[in-house]
Amino acid sequence: MLRIEAINKAFGGLQAISQLSLQVSKGEIVSVIGPNGAGKTTLFNLITGVYRPDTGRILFEGKQISGLKPNRIVDLGIARTFQNLRLFNNLSVLQNVLISQHHRLNTTWFASVLRTPGYMRQEREMHEVALEKLAFFGPRLMSFRLDQPVEVLSYANRRRTEMARAMATGARLLLLDEPSAGMNPSETAEITDIIRRMRDDGGYTIVLVEHKMNLVKDISDRVVVLDYGRKIAEGSYADVVNDPEVIEAYLGKRAAEQGAQLSGTAADL
Amino acid sequence: MSVRADSGRGASAGGRSALRRVAPWLVGAAVLGLIAWRMVYLHSVNQNFNAAFFAGAAVRSLQLGSLYALIALGYTMVYGIIRLINFAHGEVFMVGAFAAFFLFSGTPYSWPVALLVAAVVAYGFMHFLGFFRVLGRPIVLGAALVAFVAVAVALASVRFGWLGAMVGSMFVTGVLGMTIDRVAYKPLRGAPRNSMLITAIAVSFFLQNFGILAFTNRQTPFRPPSFFTGGLTFQVGGETVFATWMIVLVPAVTLLLVAVLTTLVTRTRLGRAMRATSQDAETARMMGVDVDRVIASTFLLGSMLAAAAAVMWGMSFGSINQPAIFGILPGIKAFAAAVIGGIGSLPGAVIGGLLLGFLENFLTALFPRVGDFTGITEYKDTFAFLAMILILLLRPSGIVGEDLSEKV
Amino acid sequence: MPGTPDYGPRGVMLRRLLNVAAVIALVVVLFFVQSSGSVKLGQVFALFAIWGIATVSLNLINGVTGILSLGHHGFMLIGGYVTGLLMLPESARENLSFSARNSLSDLAIGLSVERWMNALGLDFLATPETIGVRFVIAALLGGLLAAVFGLIVGFPSLRLRGDYLAVVTFAFGEVIRLLASTPLMASYTNGALGFAGVPSQFGKSVWWTFGALALTVFVFARLKKGSYGRALQSIREDEIAAEAMGVNIAYHKVLAFIISAFFAGVAGGLWVSWVGTARLDLFLFTLTFYFLVAISVGGTGSITGALIGTVLVVWVRQYGDPLEQAYPLSTWLIAAGAVLVVAAALGWLYRRNRRLRPVANPFVIGAAVVGVLAALLALSGLLDAQLASRWQGFGMRAIALSVLLVVIMIFKPAGIMGRREFQWTWLLKDRKDVPTEEERRQDAWLHRGGDATAGSGAEE
Repeated sequence: MLRIEAINKAFGGLQAISQLSLQVSKGEIVSVIGPNGAGKTTLFNLITGVYRPDTGRILFEGKQISGLKPNRIVDLGIARTFQNLRLFNNLSVLQNVLISQHHRLNTTWFASVLRTPGYMRQEREMHEVALEKLAFFGPRLMSFRLDQPVEVLSYANRRRTEMARAMATGARLLLLDEPSAGMNPSETAEITDIIRRMRDDGGYTIVLVEHKMNLVKDISDRVVVLDYGRKIAEGSYADVVNDPEVIEAYLGKRAAEQGAQLSGTAADL
Repeated sequence: MSVRADSGRGASAGGRSALRRVAPWLVGAAVLGLIAWRMVYLHSVNQNFNAAFFAGAAVRSLQLGSLYALIALGYTMVYGIIRLINFAHGEVFMVGAFAAFFLFSGTPYSWPVALLVAAVVAYGFMHFLGFFRVLGRPIVLGAALVAFVAVAVALASVRFGWLGAMVGSMFVTGVLGMTIDRVAYKPLRGAPRNSMLITAIAVSFFLQNFGILAFTNRQTPFRPPSFFTGGLTFQVGGETVFATWMIVLVPAVTLLLVAVLTTLVTRTRLGRAMRATSQDAETARMMGVDVDRVIASTFLLGSMLAAAAAVMWGMSFGSINQPAIFGILPGIKAFAAAVIGGIGSLPGAVIGGLLLGFLENFLTALFPRVGDFTGITEYKDTFAFLAMILILLLRPSGIVGEDLSEKV
Repeated sequence: MPGTPDYGPRGVMLRRLLNVAAVIALVVVLFFVQSSGSVKLGQVFALFAIWGIATVSLNLINGVTGILSLGHHGFMLIGGYVTGLLMLPESARENLSFSARNSLSDLAIGLSVERWMNALGLDFLATPETIGVRFVIAALLGGLLAAVFGLIVGFPSLRLRGDYLAVVTFAFGEVIRLLASTPLMASYTNGALGFAGVPSQFGKSVWWTFGALALTVFVFARLKKGSYGRALQSIREDEIAAEAMGVNIAYHKVLAFIISAFFAGVAGGLWVSWVGTARLDLFLFTLTFYFLVAISVGGTGSITGALIGTVLVVWVRQYGDPLEQAYPLSTWLIAAGAVLVVAAALGWLYRRNRRLRPVANPFVIGAAVVGVLAALLALSGLLDAQLASRWQGFGMRAIALSVLLVVIMIFKPAGIMGRREFQWTWLLKDRKDVPTEEERRQDAWLHRGGDATAGSGAEE
């Protein structure tokens, strides 16, 4: 589905991503992990078109997407969430989830002023999709919350809204940047379940960046480890956490020599 | 501000950087070539456009460019520190001109007026000394008292020349700049940038109309008795160039003031605090820098430079326009100069000011009224605005500026 | 209709009834205004409508899309001059001054809609009775040309944002005005002098102006509520997120400029008609400043707020003459003292209510002391001889408005309305985003133990 071929990205003298290749096939949940500054968010920014890779290319369903504008990439079917929440804070939950469907609207602005039947039909459809996506998170974003501005929501609810917003774009590939950041253990367990349901019921393919190893362990089909912009390991969770290079990246050289292990309970690395 | 390391630049330069580095030089060379060609052409058409004609244009360009540079410094310092385009700066320039006008034309003053003005100046003096954390010491209070008495006596008895008027009006605008910051901008620290900009526009409007209310609503002659407004002639290529001594005075004063400012910014505690604040106000605050004082002193310094420019502007052109429009054009052009040089950078502002002065004067010299061609004097201001739009669009970071785009 | 407040099963009908009732009430009010016989009152109402159109359209860029645009006077100038030229009757040419007759080219005069209608064989549209149709054509053409300029001015918004963009729009507005005065365009605009004789029965008529205003409000209200309006608001809220959610930033920004410029052009046409003259000093930056005040006072992004703000601005402009008349100096001194004392009192109250210590702020005390002294000085009769001379308060209106703007920006940056719009539910007391008791209980059940972080959000 997504194919990244040997991309490079440098900021000034800093090589943020070097010779990274990655493949994601349909229906997978792939976790990208790595220490801080490993280039995880940069990878997301490259895929979604915020940055353009210096060399190499990115293909989505066979089409080259590197170099396209972010909104074109959304049109093609990739959507993302942000590490530190970029919601439209003064707009309501419902409006947030409606905006991400705007790019599929095929009437002119004047039709929306005249409220032509064609526009009204699409508007109704957009509302149905919005409610459907919000329903993934249970009733807590429904009823009166629909019309509340996002800024009055709790942090966890904002994260949920942002995920619903990304789903509503109509994307088939979702990039989730730390979906459980700022959540407590029970919420994290819930979000783990929701991500799994997004794949199973919603049919989404998911790439996520995450620091909480529990979550990664529970849902990943495949784990990719980045360090200093390079891919140092790839495979199942069990394989990856025992890889000496990964342990070295996380815990340092001495630990790796002493045969330390990354365990799932060492939650927040 | 000025002494920023080069590391932040060219963050996303990538593969096109080589072309980008060469392009400005190529464009510059091409422009110079065109200018030379046009000069030769004009000379071949009409013998009046000789070396002396262009030499006159060049020295006048230097004069005008220095004035723009002085005003641009105020824009660039404020932008460098609080990321605000201080729309009111042009109006501070206007107030500076009128303050000087009233200083040299109305003196000596009656005692009540002299005491009032002296109180304002002494307050500004103390406020400024306060930045060095010495306020409250007897010597400072004594100095302020001496200043107060001296200013009052001077106002009431001495007839001011242009220099006295300039220094006096620098103090007045310095205090005005700090007041604007305290009253209008300080309550808005951390507010959305659009709110700050709208406030700046409101302040600018207030000062324009306050000028009409308090000063005059018509063009005012500005002729302080001075040696420098007298004529100066010199020979170029056998022809005489007519000018005034202002072509010497303006660059000299500008050089002096810029030297003082640079020393202040690079060598003193206050300067170090200013540079720290421009990098990261929040961190500077945590490191014990009194950010509010640093910002106030930035306004003080920038406004004082504007007043100096205003006085020399009036002397150069012999009159000052009415308050509602006097500040706008020099202000917006100086802002354009600051952008050309790279906003936030002190040398950039000076370079940009000089460049804009040369462009403006040379354009009118290169496209004069000949035959049925009306010349471009009428289009001069239009070109200034268009040039600014183009610069902002093509190279918003200016010649020595840094990339200001947002991070994700 | 989803997205709009829920009025219940019969609510839609009720809302429509209320809308119709409001329109009828407005018509009745306008009828009384017109039949009251006061020419000035009618003109003030018409001016409110004209400036209302301009403010509401500027609000689309400044408030809804969140781009600070300062070039609105340029768009109005284009619409105004085009409308003026197209409507300039044959007879007005003879009334033009000598210089104007020479400088206005035949082409410019020949641009009148009347001639065009004749040339096109639409003679019935060239009669005195159908001047209204011609005005509509002229105003629409003016709006269209302004929209073209809106397209041009909108393009920089693709590369620039924030304050730089504001400066560029300002520069564009000034360039349009400066260009209109250059020899290049003087054959159309007659330079700074402009031309008189534009039919003024449209701009001065409450029916024409309020008709245009109603249409404008209709378009902008529905635009804002619809999908396009949401997309524009998302650009205001977070440009990067909007782009990441598929909103085509470039297209929508330029679209906002085009729509806004079109209506500004129409407003300009009506304004030239209101004045009866097309002159360059009708289109100074001051105009945009007035609209900016109106938007900021009323509430950035709210159409209702923009109209409330316009009421204030038009009121100050039309009834603010007493501020600028000549009074004895003693009167001014007392007034200044009163203003200072009131400001000090308000400042003291503000500090106390916001629990800002110390309440006895040096600025507050200083203002109060100076104010009392000034008033006492004027009242004491000590300086009667010196204070008797009269002094005219030129520019007081603009000073009052700019002070108001600064105060609003500092103390209530959201304006009166914030981003809300007027809705009938305000009167019916039914808001959807406030949970009912049942919903509250369900919510508490959902979040028992779960959302320990609820409302904190500090764990980033």
